[in-house]
Amino acid sequence: MSAPTPPRASIPRSGARQFAVSVVRQPYIWAVVALLLLIVINLIKDPGYLGISVNATTGNLSGNVIDILRASAPIMMIAIGMTLVIATRGIDLSVGSVMAVSGAVSMEFMNSSGDGSVGGAILAAAFAIGISAVLGAVNGVLVSIVGLQPFITTLITMLAGRGLAKVITSGQNTSASNEPFRWIANGTVFGFPVVFVIGAVIVAIVAVLIRRTALGLMIESIGINPKAARMAGIRPIGILISVYIVSGILAGIAGIFSTASVMTVEVAKTGLSAEMDAILAVVIGGTSLAGGKFSLTGSVIGALLIATLDKTIVFLAIPSSATPAFKALVIVVICLLQSRRVRALFNQRRAPRTPSAPTAPAPTAPRTTRKETVSA
Amino acid sequence: MSKTASFRAFAGIALVGAMALGITACSGGSSAESTGAAGSDGELTTIGFVAVGPEGGWRTANEQNIQDSFSKENGFDLKYAPATNGDQNSQITAFTSFIDEGVDAILLSATEATGWESVLERAQEAEIPVVLLDRGIEPNDTSLYTSHIAPDNVGISASAAEWANAQFPDGANYVVLEGPPGLSVVNDRNKGWDETIDANMKKLESQSANWSTEEAKSVFETILKANNNDVQLVFAQNDEMGLGAALAVEEAGLKPGTDVKIITIDGTKAALTALSEGRLSFVAEYNPLFGDTAIDVVKSALAGETVESDIVVPSVTFDSPEAATEALPTRQF
Amino acid sequence: MAATEPIVEMSDISIEFPGVKALQHVDFRLFPGEVHTLMGENGAGKSTLIKALTGVYKIDGGSIRVAGAPRSFSGTADAQSAGISTVYQEVNLCDNLTIGENVMLGHEVRGHFGINWAKTHSAAHDALVGLGLGHLDTKQPLSSISLALQQLVAISRAMVTKSKVLILDEPTSSLDANEVEGLFAVMRRLRDQGVAILFVSHFLDQVYAISDRLTVLRNGEFVGEYRTSELDRSQLISKMIGKDFGALAALGSNRGRTVDADEPAFYSATDLGRKGSIDPVDIQVHRGEVVGLAGLLGSGRTELGRLMYGADRPDTGEVTIGGTTVEVHSPTAGLAKKIAFSTENRRDEGIIGDLTVRENLIVAVQARRGWARPLSRREQNELCEKYLVSLNVRPADPELPIKNLSGGNQQKVLLGRWLATQPELIILDEPTRGIDIGAKAEIQEAIATLAEEGMSVVFISSELEEVVRLSERIVVLKDHRKIGEIVNGPEITAETIVDLIATEGTTP
Repeated sequence: MSAPTPPRASIPRSGARQFAVSVVRQPYIWAVVALLLLIVINLIKDPGYLGISVNATTGNLSGNVIDILRASAPIMMIAIGMTLVIATRGIDLSVGSVMAVSGAVSMEFMNSSGDGSVGGAILAAAFAIGISAVLGAVNGVLVSIVGLQPFITTLITMLAGRGLAKVITSGQNTSASNEPFRWIANGTVFGFPVVFVIGAVIVAIVAVLIRRTALGLMIESIGINPKAARMAGIRPIGILISVYIVSGILAGIAGIFSTASVMTVEVAKTGLSAEMDAILAVVIGGTSLAGGKFSLTGSVIGALLIATLDKTIVFLAIPSSATPAFKALVIVVICLLQSRRVRALFNQRRAPRTPSAPTAPAPTAPRTTRKETVSA
Repeated sequence: MSKTASFRAFAGIALVGAMALGITACSGGSSAESTGAAGSDGELTTIGFVAVGPEGGWRTANEQNIQDSFSKENGFDLKYAPATNGDQNSQITAFTSFIDEGVDAILLSATEATGWESVLERAQEAEIPVVLLDRGIEPNDTSLYTSHIAPDNVGISASAAEWANAQFPDGANYVVLEGPPGLSVVNDRNKGWDETIDANMKKLESQSANWSTEEAKSVFETILKANNNDVQLVFAQNDEMGLGAALAVEEAGLKPGTDVKIITIDGTKAALTALSEGRLSFVAEYNPLFGDTAIDVVKSALAGETVESDIVVPSVTFDSPEAATEALPTRQF
Repeated sequence: MAATEPIVEMSDISIEFPGVKALQHVDFRLFPGEVHTLMGENGAGKSTLIKALTGVYKIDGGSIRVAGAPRSFSGTADAQSAGISTVYQEVNLCDNLTIGENVMLGHEVRGHFGINWAKTHSAAHDALVGLGLGHLDTKQPLSSISLALQQLVAISRAMVTKSKVLILDEPTSSLDANEVEGLFAVMRRLRDQGVAILFVSHFLDQVYAISDRLTVLRNGEFVGEYRTSELDRSQLISKMIGKDFGALAALGSNRGRTVDADEPAFYSATDLGRKGSIDPVDIQVHRGEVVGLAGLLGSGRTELGRLMYGADRPDTGEVTIGGTTVEVHSPTAGLAKKIAFSTENRRDEGIIGDLTVRENLIVAVQARRGWARPLSRREQNELCEKYLVSLNVRPADPELPIKNLSGGNQQKVLLGRWLATQPELIILDEPTRGIDIGAKAEIQEAIATLAEEGMSVVFISSELEEVVRLSERIVVLKDHRKIGEIVNGPEITAETIVDLIATEGTTP
């Protein structure tokens, strides 16, 4: 223990420059680029694209940006939940169905109570979120305690959830009228759409909960190396159940957002293939589907990108038969640019003579040799 | 096939007779009515209904009407098999198991138009008549089924286009909100519209909103912005999308019915209510209530009579709030 | 018996991985009609040598001759086509196919219309009969027979390809005595047919029962080639374990220290065991005592350590810590009872690769505190500062992903992880493996210091010298049983333990 103190490795850099470098190194940088590019394309079509005006009749702010923020809110919710689940090496296919259940519960509740007050809206939302949490807990228990595969488990809840939504509304599209509830999706506060504000606040809460406590570290540990995480004393069961519950709750909130917008739950349509949007947002945001390290910021950007993409397709009047292909093309390009190999290729071309970074010993190398030298 | 049916009826009567005897033996003086009721039970015609399942107001009304029409009172035993999440495979599975069970006839509302040839041939080999309800099949080989009963999508959207032509003799900008691309309904509704609409009507955009109110609202709010609110007419291919468009119009501070006129197809209660409030301008009914026609077709087919292979269900249109208000109290769907 | 010409001759083989010399100047010869066992502790280079032969690894030096001609294979399949087949511990056959299909996979008998299944099955049957396995029905699914039989099926599959060399890499580790006997019968039959068999096993008794010759490797170096009949067990063990000269000799020793035996043990377990892993064992550890677990690989030394920590759930036994009875059924429980366990399996159960050194260091402390009470960044940095410096981790950059560190430095970070939890009992499974001699001395010294400060230590190592030097008491294990306990003293040497293992009731 008498070894000389090695020099601490910290290279001083100018703060701003370091920040810029760290932003450019983020895996979601291409999503940001794509987002800006889409906006530029829209601006070319209509220079007033980013303009925001006060609507004379309704008194609300209106503009394409507002619409995008509003449309991104539900995707953001499910993408955040999906990020956490994927980080634990799981996947949650049931988010779309949970959205439908949540919408069905709140609409049915307000429809049958006929209560148009703020209290009625809060009660309906609480009820809907509660049931979503239960569905999430079912996923969590099946995955962590019973040990079913996340894919299968959530596929089951995905099918069962949509069925449940149909049972709740007896297969009907149910509408309700409750002005405070409608305001959630259509109102604005300080010019911003309420949905987006609520969404941003919820993202902030989740981010604080994950990153200011040790939950993030534990989730990543489980995702990277479940065995080692267990040996280090992390209890995976509790973490897994919580993660699926959070995903359920966030999907429930997304369900409220999307049904409140039209005050109708369409049991066969609400949240349909929303899980795909969520997974895409996560992947675009740079979180690996293999689990481990995750980026909530990335997923938020992914959600914004998907919403912008959807809106751009309509704004540019791309024929409906061509929209899936267009959407796929944009996403494939982003994913390609993000892939490790393509990035490596870029780096090589940029700095062909940079010595390669220290890497782990080849996985096939024997773990044990006594002659190994202690140096990096 | 009629042989099997009569054999079944016979076996049924024999069974019921035996049961009746047993009941009388046990309870002594039981009433004669119970025996009579049970007796009719034995003569039921079994029908397999390969259905779409909950999808929206129109579908629910249609399938409820079919189930109500083919009731026990009318002498039918209807087996209802909705698709799981609109999956064609689950429909094919239900269809084949109906064949294996040996039902007397099969009613089919296909979720997808293609891929039905082989199972329809199997039904033909088993001599089970198949009646297509609402949605047709492609390629439309009339030899594979007994009859196709449906309202006429082409005709209905043509009538909507005629109304639009009359409303805007000087032309207007319009937008089409379609169902998912590729569906035969969507193709037919586009066809009727495009063939009939006047050349001075300018189609700004045709977007899919997947039959959904929420998507239609989101799509149309963007279309309004892209065109600086210079849209006078929306042709929504179902009620739900039309209602979504109306919400978007209101959100933009415009007035549906005056600033933007909205046409929808289907004619559900929700749409007629909106029409009576002036939020929609024209609703073309796509009549879901053709259970009685279906019964007639099934009966004639089972009796061995020839049936017309294409039966059009008559549909009406509503072009004013008054017409809607009048129709609402008796509206079944 | 041994023909004059070797069928495989590997000479002066060297292989280097980044930072690791896996094989250095190793010679190996294999003759037709012999069973030749490759011996050595974990990491001695046995698997690497096999993989060098089959072309999975490229050799950096030396030459390989097969049947007299220089060869270099591109992989297992290439080697197989040249008559060298490998059967691994985990049978790599298709569970859902039939026995016959597995035997003939890729060599099905073809007729005019694709595969002639009747002929294929009869060919499979012939192959099985050749190994005395005629009683197996080739049309049964593979999954319907035991693992041992599946292994034999894998061997018949190798024989269908007319292999002249058969490599069996630890085929017996999951077999019971009867199944081993069945396997040996097949091996003898093949040997008599002139097949050269390269055998790897950790079970000494089995090695002596079947082998004609032995090649011993140690630390990737060639120790020697011997006739089995000319090398007794204790000689073999000392050749495998070897002795480290030089720096280590100068190290201090714990053997002089004694622990007051009257004082109740800090940790005491009676009948601690788990079916299929280790037979019930009694073990006590006093405060400030280093207890060594000695035994060969597979003796149960790791398994016992895991049970003590709760990494595996014990199904028998009672544990008292500080006088109170406790249940330690999970790592979380172990940590809560102030037990720490540093795994020998660094890559799979130790490091969390994508996380930084800092995160890897603090994760156990954090897990014990719970998610809701995160360590502040300042506390984390303090822990890093303390352990990265005291354990001399290089580079001492806490923000580097741990996967970018060398194995020895990863090991030091892991040691720091456990020390940071301030355990009262620390179980160290091979803490000095894969570390250069300087670091090894540092770690040994650290262990001695910890014990002096009152920490109880369980020390597991395949290097008996090390165990003898550090431990006050040594628990000796063999074949998943405790076979003895030695109180250390001046007269105790590695030989004492080797003799105990070699002579203790030989298993059939």
